Amino acid sequence: MGPDSAPGPAVPWQKVLWERQPYPDNYVDQRFLEELRRNEGIRQYQYWAVVKEVGFVGQQLSCVAIFITLWLYMEQGLLSPEMLLSTSLVCALLGYGVHQALTSQVESACEPRTRLADLQSATIFLSFTFGFSPVLKTLTESVSTDTVYAMSALMLLAHLVSFPYAQPSPPGSLSLNAALFASVCLASRLPGALHTFAMLSCALLVFALWPCLLQKLRENAPNQFTVVCVCVCLGGVGGLGSLLPGGAVLLALALGSVTLLCPLLLVRLQRHKDNIHGPWDEAEIHEDLSRFLH
Amino acid sequence: MVLKIFFPQCCNRADSGLLVGQWIPGHGSAVVLAVIHYPFIPGQVKRYIQQMQDQSGVELSVLGSWSLPKEGQEGMESFLRDLSTIFPQDRWLQISRQIGKMGFTCEVLTWDQNLKAFQPEAKKKKDNEDTESDVDAEHEEKEEEVEEKVIFIHYEQRKVMLSQLHPVENGVPSPKTDAPSELRQMFQTVAHSQPLFFLDKYDDGPLRSTHWQSEGREASIIVELLKQASVPLCLLITWLLSIWTWICNMRIFSLYPLRFLSSKLSTCVQLNYRTEHMTTLSSPTPAIGHTEFMRKANMLVSFLVDVALGMLLISWLYRDNHITMLANTLVPAADHVAKELNELLQWLMGAPAGLKMNRALDQVLGRFFLYHIHLWISYIHLMSPFIEGILWYGGLSACFGLTFALSLLSDMVALLTFHIYCFYVYGARLYCLKIYGLSSLWRLFRGKKWNVLRQRVDSCSYDLDQLFIGTLLFTILLFLLPTTALYYLVFTLLRLVVVFVQGIIHLSVDFINSFPLFAVGLRICRPYRLAEGVKFRVLCDEPGTALHLLMEINPLKCGTVVQTYRSPTYSCYPKDSWAALVKKLFVGELIYPWRHKSTKTD
Repeated sequence: MGPDSAPGPAVPWQKVLWERQPYPDNYVDQRFLEELRRNEGIRQYQYWAVVKEVGFVGQQLSCVAIFITLWLYMEQGLLSPEMLLSTSLVCALLGYGVHQALTSQVESACEPRTRLADLQSATIFLSFTFGFSPVLKTLTESVSTDTVYAMSALMLLAHLVSFPYAQPSPPGSLSLNAALFASVCLASRLPGALHTFAMLSCALLVFALWPCLLQKLRENAPNQFTVVCVCVCLGGVGGLGSLLPGGAVLLALALGSVTLLCPLLLVRLQRHKDNIHGPWDEAEIHEDLSRFLH
Repeated sequence: MVLKIFFPQCCNRADSGLLVGQWIPGHGSAVVLAVIHYPFIPGQVKRYIQQMQDQSGVELSVLGSWSLPKEGQEGMESFLRDLSTIFPQDRWLQISRQIGKMGFTCEVLTWDQNLKAFQPEAKKKKDNEDTESDVDAEHEEKEEEVEEKVIFIHYEQRKVMLSQLHPVENGVPSPKTDAPSELRQMFQTVAHSQPLFFLDKYDDGPLRSTHWQSEGREASIIVELLKQASVPLCLLITWLLSIWTWICNMRIFSLYPLRFLSSKLSTCVQLNYRTEHMTTLSSPTPAIGHTEFMRKANMLVSFLVDVALGMLLISWLYRDNHITMLANTLVPAADHVAKELNELLQWLMGAPAGLKMNRALDQVLGRFFLYHIHLWISYIHLMSPFIEGILWYGGLSACFGLTFALSLLSDMVALLTFHIYCFYVYGARLYCLKIYGLSSLWRLFRGKKWNVLRQRVDSCSYDLDQLFIGTLLFTILLFLLPTTALYYLVFTLLRLVVVFVQGIIHLSVDFINSFPLFAVGLRICRPYRLAEGVKFRVLCDEPGTALHLLMEINPLKCGTVVQTYRSPTYSCYPKDSWAALVKKLFVGELIYPWRHKSTKTD
């Protein structure tokens, strides 16, 4: 008797296993598909909301562009390391103040970092960077410039790909490390040890501390967050445009496609979503199948 | 059922008499050991056999009678039959031979419990003829009485007694599983019944017998003299050894630096090894068993050969002022090596093979090693006035044997190339540090860490400062790695050359120490002493007589001899496999291929 053939006896079928029934084990009756549900719990995205969220990606892209711009300025001697250092210091202090203000708004009691710990970390950063900057200066002396550029580009790309955009507050290991590696490579091409030190401090600011501040901003002040993102994007395009107009156009195109085109695509493709749920158990294989590989 | 009779060749022409030997239990076979001739008094024969049995531990018995009738000796049939009642046995063999005929004839009598007398069980005469010519006739005869075939296996008593049957290797399948054990029993019987063969024709006893020594005992005057001389010699050596071990066991030698040094110097290791040898050789207890004896003999012979070679070396060294010549070439050689190293370092400090190295680190490492060489050269020049003296006294050590001279040479090579060893250790340590640092920082780079408890890589969230410093160090180590790796590679290759030379010296010392010279000599001069098995040759297969086979001893193969009797010694082979060695080299662990077993346990 096949599963689809009509039941002979007039006993009503029950969906139980503990009673002996005159039906095959895989028999189901007509009510089976009544419980079918489609696209359960789906979120209908609003276009502008998505664009707002995507702003983070765009601003990170712009951050990389700003960093490269700064490096180009340093390399061409248009920006003195002292200038960069003082600007960085001011920015850091400003950012720290904003961060503290945002943190004190929300009385989150979970392990608040003390000022002393922050000071300690800052001392470690600065002393190590300053101590190692002569070593870093001569590190890539014998390596060809093209290799250094290629390595930096690869690492910055890895940074962008592996960046945890959803939860950037403790920065992801791989993204931060890749960015720092790239900045060390680039910084070692600069003419002096102080340049290297300034560049690395700047890199720390841009890649490690800025995402933390931005995350705080996104949580506590969403409107300001949007404004800041737009500002950063404009700053990145403008900065790059002052040295490489072609690069600025490319960056603008990339930013446009990421922040405007991609959300549009997402919202459009949403209507094709078809996800079914039902009273059945989906087959899941939990077994360790690696033994079949040998 | 086939009855096998092992018959000694020396008894083929013996006078008539009683066959003395052993029934091998469990197998239908008998080993004839000797023939006791007429006339005798049965009581004396019984007492003699009892005495021999006590001495040898072999269950000797009278197997039957042997008759080789000469002219005028007729009609012994009934007499022989009567003898069986005097020496009661389960079975009684009545072997006779006629002059002019090839084979023997054999009658087997079994003790009939009912009749209290022997009944002829089978007549060997014409038996073969019947079986081969006419099947029906055999069938008829079988109905009459249970027949028994007899096979005579002739063996050479002296060879069988002296030979040692080696166990069959597992790789060679033996067609009959029980055949070797029977043969082994037979060999053991012959070897153990040595007291039986001491009775020769010059003895004044009441009995006369025939066996391989009946014409006179075999002995060598030189061997006897050596045996006599070895007793005081052994005592002297034991006394000297006791003084030597007392010196060695003094407290000052068990202090840490001295003990460590002596375990590393191959001369000291060789000295220990020889002391052990001499202790074994001079022990007053005689060797028990064949293996023990062979071990001692091998030790003695290899020691003697070693000393002889050492004497040859001495006679060459001290003849034409060779020592001075050697000393005069040694210092320039060391200088030359240092100069070559210097040039190598200069080359490394430039751009070696077009490789781009980190200039600063390159200069630092290069200057460090150059200074080391400079130190080394001044040390050698400080030593140079004493080198001739050291060589002169060191050469004297060859009178203890060639192995001592070789060990000394190995130690001298080790001492003279100490700078290369130092370079290697520095390079390896630096490289190892880098490799380990890089591997753990690479895990940090990916946001992972090594979990020691679970022995696996876990993901881990690091702090910001940890990540920053880790990445900084990772970058620095990564860019400095090629420089360190190149230095490590060059010095490792140098070190491997030295290790190779030392390995060859150690191998030759080990060869002299452990090669079983005595066993190989025995195999060449007396092949039958070390038997692998036996082979049979048909002597006479005429119809009408029993089958006669000649048993010959198959000597052991030379390879098996070396394998079996090679004395255990410290092995100086690499303790790692090649893959493990390469892995160690890659990771930068220090390699000691010459390390001995004893020091490995430390």
